[in-house]
Amino acid sequence: MKRSIAMFVSFFVCALLLAGCWSKKELPDLAFVIAVGLDKTEDGRYLASFQVVNPGNVAGATQRGGGAAGVPVSMYTSTGDTLVEASRKASKKLSRILYYGHTNLVVISEEVAREGLNDVFDAVERNHQFRPTAQLVIAHGHSAKEVLSVLTPIDKISANQIIKTLEFSEMSRGQTINTDVWGAIRGLTSSGRNTVVTGVVIEGNPQQGKRQTNVQSSVPDARISLDGLALFKKDRLVRWVNGSTERGVLWVLDRIKQTNITIPWNGKKEAIGYRTVRVKTEVKPQWKKGRPSILVHIQTEGDISEAYVPIRLDDYRQLFQLEKAIGRDIEREVKQAIETAQHEKTDVFGFGEAVHRAHPRLWKRIKKEWDDRYFPHLQVTVKVDAYIRRTGLRNTPYIK
Amino acid sequence: MLFQWGMGRQKKQINDGVKQEGPDHSGEAADVPQEPMSAELAVNLDIIRQTTGQSSDVVIRRFSLGQERQIKAAIVFVDGLVDEKHVYEFLLTPLLEASFPLSLTEKEWFPWIEQKLAAVGGVKHVVDWEHLFLELFSGETIILLDGVPSAVSASTKGGQYRAIEEPQTQLAVRGPREGLTESLRANTAMIRRRIKNPNLWMETMQIGTVTQTDVAIMYIKGIANDEVIEEVRARLRRIDTDSVLESGYIEQLIEDQTFTTFPTIYHTERPDVVAANLLEGRIAILIQGTPFILIVPALFIQFFQAVEDYYARFDIATALRFLRVLIFFLSLVAPSIYIAAVTFHQEMIPTQLVIAIAAQREAVPFPAFVEALIMEVTFEILREAGIRLPRAVGQAVSIVGALVIGQAAVEAGFVSSAMVIVVSITAIASFATPSFAIAIPARLIRFGLMFLAAMFGFYGIMMGLLVMILHLCSLRSFGVPYMSPLAPFTPSNMGDTLFRIPTWMYRERPRLINQKNIIRQSGDQKPQPPAPTRREKEDGS
Repeated sequence: MKRSIAMFVSFFVCALLLAGCWSKKELPDLAFVIAVGLDKTEDGRYLASFQVVNPGNVAGATQRGGGAAGVPVSMYTSTGDTLVEASRKASKKLSRILYYGHTNLVVISEEVAREGLNDVFDAVERNHQFRPTAQLVIAHGHSAKEVLSVLTPIDKISANQIIKTLEFSEMSRGQTINTDVWGAIRGLTSSGRNTVVTGVVIEGNPQQGKRQTNVQSSVPDARISLDGLALFKKDRLVRWVNGSTERGVLWVLDRIKQTNITIPWNGKKEAIGYRTVRVKTEVKPQWKKGRPSILVHIQTEGDISEAYVPIRLDDYRQLFQLEKAIGRDIEREVKQAIETAQHEKTDVFGFGEAVHRAHPRLWKRIKKEWDDRYFPHLQVTVKVDAYIRRTGLRNTPYIK
Repeated sequence: MLFQWGMGRQKKQINDGVKQEGPDHSGEAADVPQEPMSAELAVNLDIIRQTTGQSSDVVIRRFSLGQERQIKAAIVFVDGLVDEKHVYEFLLTPLLEASFPLSLTEKEWFPWIEQKLAAVGGVKHVVDWEHLFLELFSGETIILLDGVPSAVSASTKGGQYRAIEEPQTQLAVRGPREGLTESLRANTAMIRRRIKNPNLWMETMQIGTVTQTDVAIMYIKGIANDEVIEEVRARLRRIDTDSVLESGYIEQLIEDQTFTTFPTIYHTERPDVVAANLLEGRIAILIQGTPFILIVPALFIQFFQAVEDYYARFDIATALRFLRVLIFFLSLVAPSIYIAAVTFHQEMIPTQLVIAIAAQREAVPFPAFVEALIMEVTFEILREAGIRLPRAVGQAVSIVGALVIGQAAVEAGFVSSAMVIVVSITAIASFATPSFAIAIPARLIRFGLMFLAAMFGFYGIMMGLLVMILHLCSLRSFGVPYMSPLAPFTPSNMGDTLFRIPTWMYRERPRLINQKNIIRQSGDQKPQPPAPTRREKEDGS
């Protein structure tokens, strides 16, 4: 008995001491990669950029306040035939272990996106540290490296700046979309849906943007800004859309939370502003005469946000007319977006998935030819019901 | 192994059901004369003097009785243990004033004295030395007569005791202010005052061959489980020790399991808590000389029930119960979660926070585990120093303590400020449990969990907690599963665990403690507004 207990205890202690701590990583040994950028070099290899946080220089994290001593992030780049190879090579330049557990942003250059993303995401998905919820953006006009090099004034870590801008911009403006790595992979593999990704541009001089002086000025030399939606076909970027077309895409995707629509009234352009509060888009597939067709039904509720023409907003007939006008405006945006997508033969709206859900058997037949044969000629009916719920704190505008 | 040996011994004792003969204590035990008492007063007094080593506090007062004062007599008492005024006024005076009839036979004189001393509480006939000394040192006064080979003991207990004060532990904002004292009698009185029922029974015994400490078992006949009472009795009888100076002595000699950090016996300093537990069918063990009463059987959940839960309304009481369990959990795992998260699971910390912690840890040369260990040990040192410190230097320690666990330690680069926060939360949490007894296991197990966390991360913590929970489920307190009513699950008793249901819903006493008489009060006592009068009814309809 005594012997067996002694054996047990010694085995237990050995197990503890031998197995213990094998995956231990102390915080000061980790390089937190907050964003990964991907470009192509001239010889066709990948150029990976890693935005690594410099914790001591992030404001709020320092114990002595400020954080003005240095830049909050450092960029490390390396080239390789694959992302993993590039990542391993980067460790030559870093005194710490690259840690992807907090990578929240992936920036892909337009060049890489146009050539196809198929060779990128497997490593990202397979790595246990990497989060598939990391946001994805396409660098538009500049390389991903340049985008990640720009220092930003308010959110010190520029990756955070981009992520938060994406989030709040989708919420309040309705012209950008959060696409995470999951969503992108789903777009690559699904035959009934393609991906849309928001673009990011640098406003100003990217060379100046790298310097600390960029954040010490009230008007930074370089700013990061979201602009445009990249429409993908399978894994390739095929088209950028902007402005109202961009919003049209989001209307169909039911990704609009709040946005502002300005409609003409009585011959005056930009006369009345309408702010949506609640939007619901339903995509209803139909099957008529052996061909699929789609009904997009958008219901929107909102308030009047501005009115610069004389209009009696306390008159319900006027409001009904106004609602119709708003509906027409939205319909125009949506149709424009659908036409663009049909022209590019890429179903970014997930119409194919809707058909798949409604008619699984029929879908199997048309699945292969959906993008090239069915979708471009798909008959899409757009129906918009816009409701004005409130007119703000005033009824009739002061303009008489 | 020690553990095995203990188990075997216990089993044997239960099987035999008889007290094991321990080593001979007679050498240490009271060295009382074995011969019968003498008829001669002078001889008896001599024996008393010799046996007590002529101790100065043993007062022998000689006087004469009878019409002619021809009967020699003496009273013997211990100075300080008796109420002296009482002795002279109600004992000595009546005896001196009485005329002692010489014709009294040996059988007749005791009733005569008993009648004369009607003003004194209790009068007992003592025939042997062992009893005589026990009575003497319990604060009774002994009366010896010349020519009588026996003595009388008269109840004159008195002397100085600490007054009834507010309890030092287990404070309550709302509730009785009186706390138990060192006097057994005062304590029983406080409990009796709360339960005026002849069924509140008490059994007294002396434990400790040298100290002869009074120990009383208190229970309510008809509510308490007879088997548990018998078990308590048997375990107390089994005790064979020289001394009992505090309830802890008894606790450690009768508890079910020594090799656990969890207390399986509850102790309290509040008479209302004792009364409440007696009413639930538990048994109280009172010990002379300590303000702490032991209560058995004790359940795990009991240590989270503060007395105020029952005095306050149910909503806040329930909320506080949840808070307390959270507190216990925090004081148990807060440092280990921190260690596990920063050394293994950095991805589980929000990005902003992990960067903030990383920035603080840049300058700290130790691994997180060592850092946590330094701080926890420092805190334990401070705490230990603080408890036994003379009041006069208390302030100095608190100033220095604030430096050690605080900004100075951070600035010196010893620890990160996040660690200081974690340790502080743990420290505060360990003081916030309603029963100090349950904070101790958390305090000890914390270090084990920290060690596991440093080796295996969250996996280690989960393993540690699993082992702890399994251990808890294996514990019993006087035959009652420690985790009941959670495990075994007793739905009807769940109202007084994490939740504290409204008072009118408490129909049952805890089932496992008390199997027979489980109904506490009638159901359907929900307070309601008065029924509408006829007039109101008419108005309403």
